[in-house]
Amino acid sequence: MNRWLSDHRWAIADALKRVRERPIQFLVLIGLLSILLAIPGWLAQIWLGMSSLVPEEAVHSEAIVFLSNEIEFEERIELERMLGESPIVEHVIFIPKSKALADLSSSDGLAPLTQLADDNPLPDALQLRFVFSPDSGVSELSLVERIEFDPRVLSLRYYPSTRIQYGSMLEVLAFFGAGFSMLTILGVLMTVFLVSAADVVDDSKRIKLYTLLGASSRYIQRPYLYRATFLGIFAGFQACLAVIGLNALLSEVIINNLEELDSRLGSIPLDTRILLGIVMVSVASSWIGAERAMNQRLKGIH
Amino acid sequence: MIDFEYVSKFYEGDREALFEVNFRLAPGEMAFLTGHSGAGKSTLLRLLLGLETASSGAVRVAGTNLADLSGEKLARYRRRVGVVFQDPNLEEDLTVFDNVALPLRISGFSESDIPRRVMAALSRVDLSEQALVSPKLLSGGQQQRVGIARAIVHRPALLIADEPTGNLDPELSARVMRMFTQFQQLGVTILVATHERAVVESLPFRRLVIERGRLISDGLGSKR
Repeated sequence: MNRWLSDHRWAIADALKRVRERPIQFLVLIGLLSILLAIPGWLAQIWLGMSSLVPEEAVHSEAIVFLSNEIEFEERIELERMLGESPIVEHVIFIPKSKALADLSSSDGLAPLTQLADDNPLPDALQLRFVFSPDSGVSELSLVERIEFDPRVLSLRYYPSTRIQYGSMLEVLAFFGAGFSMLTILGVLMTVFLVSAADVVDDSKRIKLYTLLGASSRYIQRPYLYRATFLGIFAGFQACLAVIGLNALLSEVIINNLEELDSRLGSIPLDTRILLGIVMVSVASSWIGAERAMNQRLKGIH
Repeated sequence: MIDFEYVSKFYEGDREALFEVNFRLAPGEMAFLTGHSGAGKSTLLRLLLGLETASSGAVRVAGTNLADLSGEKLARYRRRVGVVFQDPNLEEDLTVFDNVALPLRISGFSESDIPRRVMAALSRVDLSEQALVSPKLLSGGQQQRVGIARAIVHRPALLIADEPTGNLDPELSARVMRMFTQFQQLGVTILVATHERAVVESLPFRRLVIERGRLISDGLGSKR
């Protein structure tokens, strides 16, 4: 234990000495890494903020199901019953084709259509109004797809609610955000990898000396890994400050719009999981980048 | 202590660096390894330090075939060996004390034990009073003595020196060689690689002469 403590204390002192030797390099790296980390952090913050926005008066989704002309009365009743029993359907209203034609005729310029009453080309229809029920396990889209392929149905028009449209947008944002975040994390890894690899080249004489004095690879790597850890911690905290600052700035800008959208929302809530995640990703990616570089370069030297 | 059993070393393109080198160094023995530049001295020392492995034959130290060592075992072996370089290879941002203490810290000696051992090593090379200065402030000869103190501070059983007097004037060279002689008398096995004839001829120790990778002569010096 004493040996372990002594080795680590020496490695930390050596790492701090390296930081003091190249302070500008260290500060520039912190700045660069924090920018790279703040981007995915900020995207995640926006995404979580948007996910929590639920408009109070969200318009419900609706669908108009045009029925096949050959459908029997019993078949239509059975279809109405089946749809009405779905947990995500609030109600089903039957619209006979005569009413559809009358409604159409009452629109401007279409009055002569009533003359077609005996030979009405319009189909009967069912109007569906959906209800938001995330716990039901049934999605509007899956139900709509099922109805479309029903032989009793001629065609279908689906009008998704703002909530559904919003959800789809969030899914797309999450997909691109995750991809972009992976790229920036890769950027952090590559940056630390390249800097650590350059350090090993700079210190090759020293590393050879330590090798000849009997230092193990772990002993030689330790100061570099500690420095990478310090880098990760500082870059992570700076990225957190950037995300907090950006959040405050954005809240200031859109606060009025938020309140109009949902009176419960006075500001964009800041999720502490994101801040914790940024610091953890920062430390882990810095450490992994340095470890990979050291391993590769030390193999070459040894 | 050291056994070279018909050791050959070939590099890429069948370039021959050593060919069937065969000799044995007993514990507590001191020998010079001489030869022109490129004769194979450095390759032999690299094999002895476990930095390379032999293409054929075996390099044994205290009965252990170095080819069988790797990773932590090889590091542990090197901790039992002292190395003196032509360029003392001191860390300029550390004090003389910390430079000499490096092998002890690497070997895991306790911090309370380190000062006593470091000061003992420095007093052997007459540099006790320079312990807390930077190596940058020392002369070339003093720096070489710090390198020697670093090589003996952990009391190695084997001391390997690669051109230890290469950068020193004759007087300092003689002083360094006197130190090696003292260590040998204390039971340390020493192999000194040098191409300086004056140094070799001034001392009555065994001479291994290498030429074009072959051991062409193995015998005692004239003085004793």
